[in-house]
Amino acid sequence: MRRENLETAAANYTYLRGLLCIPAGALFILAALGNWQVGPLQHAWMFVVLAAVILLASVPIYSHYNKHYGRLTPTTRQRTRGAIAMAIGLAVIVGGSMLLRSRAGWSLDLPVNATAVTFAMIMLITYAIGVGLKSHHVVIWGALLLAGALPVWTGADPSNIGLVMAGVAVMLSGIFDHRLFVRTFGSPASLELSERDVRA
Amino acid sequence: MSEPRQELVLDRLIHEPGRLAILTVLSSVRDADFVFLQRATGLTKGNLSSHLTKLEDAGLVAIEKRFVLKKPNTNVTLTALGRKRIAKHWAQLERLRTLAQEP
Repeated sequence: MRRENLETAAANYTYLRGLLCIPAGALFILAALGNWQVGPLQHAWMFVVLAAVILLASVPIYSHYNKHYGRLTPTTRQRTRGAIAMAIGLAVIVGGSMLLRSRAGWSLDLPVNATAVTFAMIMLITYAIGVGLKSHHVVIWGALLLAGALPVWTGADPSNIGLVMAGVAVMLSGIFDHRLFVRTFGSPASLELSERDVRA
Repeated sequence: MSEPRQELVLDRLIHEPGRLAILTVLSSVRDADFVFLQRATGLTKGNLSSHLTKLEDAGLVAIEKRFVLKKPNTNVTLTALGRKRIAKHWAQLERLRTLAQEP
C-alpha cells in the first residue's frame, strides 16, 4: 500500500462521506422553496419542521458510515484549518454575493447568479485543499460556476434559483463522492466477506 | 564486520508492512478506531489486532476500549514515541532511496 494512500485515508474519509451531502443539498432546496413560500412553506413553522426532518435524516447516514467504516478524530491542526476555511468560505459567499450583485452601493451589480458563482468557487477550493479535486468535482462545480457566471441573470434577484442549483450540485457531488469513498475503502459488506475468506 | 551505517538501519518493529501501514495512517489523525484502521490498511481483524498488541507493548500506540452509543469501540492513538519513531522511519526510508539513486 502506497504511503500517499495511507496518509490521505483520513482526508478521504472526512471529505468523501458523500451520502451526508444528500440532506445538506435538500436543505439548500428547502431554503429556496421557503423563500418563495411555496405551498405549505408559506408557514414558517412548516419550514422548521421540514428542516428538522431533513437534518434527522443525517443521523442514520452518520451511523452507516460509523458502523461500516469506523470513526476518526482529525488532528487539532486539521480542525483549525477546517474552521478557518469555513469562516473564510462564509465571508466569501456573503461578501462575494454582495459584491457581484446586490443593492449595496459598492456592488458591481452584474447580471450573474452570485449565489451559484460564490458557492461553486468555495466548493472547488474546499475540495482542492481538503482532498484534491476529483474529475466529478471539476465537472459538477465547474458547471455550477459557469452557469452562474453566464451574463443571463437579468431581472429579479436569482439567489433562490442559485440555492436550488447549489442544492442539486451538492447532492450530485455527494453521490459521486460516496462512490469514490466506497471504491477507496470497500463496500459495507467487504470487511465481513474478507473475514470469511480468511476463515475458509 | 563494521557496524551498519545509521541511515541503513531500519526499525524492525515498524518496518513490517502491516505495522508500517497502521502507524502511517495514525500519524495523519489524532485517533482512529479499529474499524477505520481495518478499512484504511486492508488488514484482517486478527492481523490488525495482533499488530496493535505488539505496537502497544512497545509503547508506540495507546489503545482505549470504550463504549460508543452502548456499542464496544476500540480507539487507537499514536503516542509521542510512536509519532517520533514513524517519522524517523519514513525519513530513513527516504534516505535509503536517495542513497540507492546516487551514481
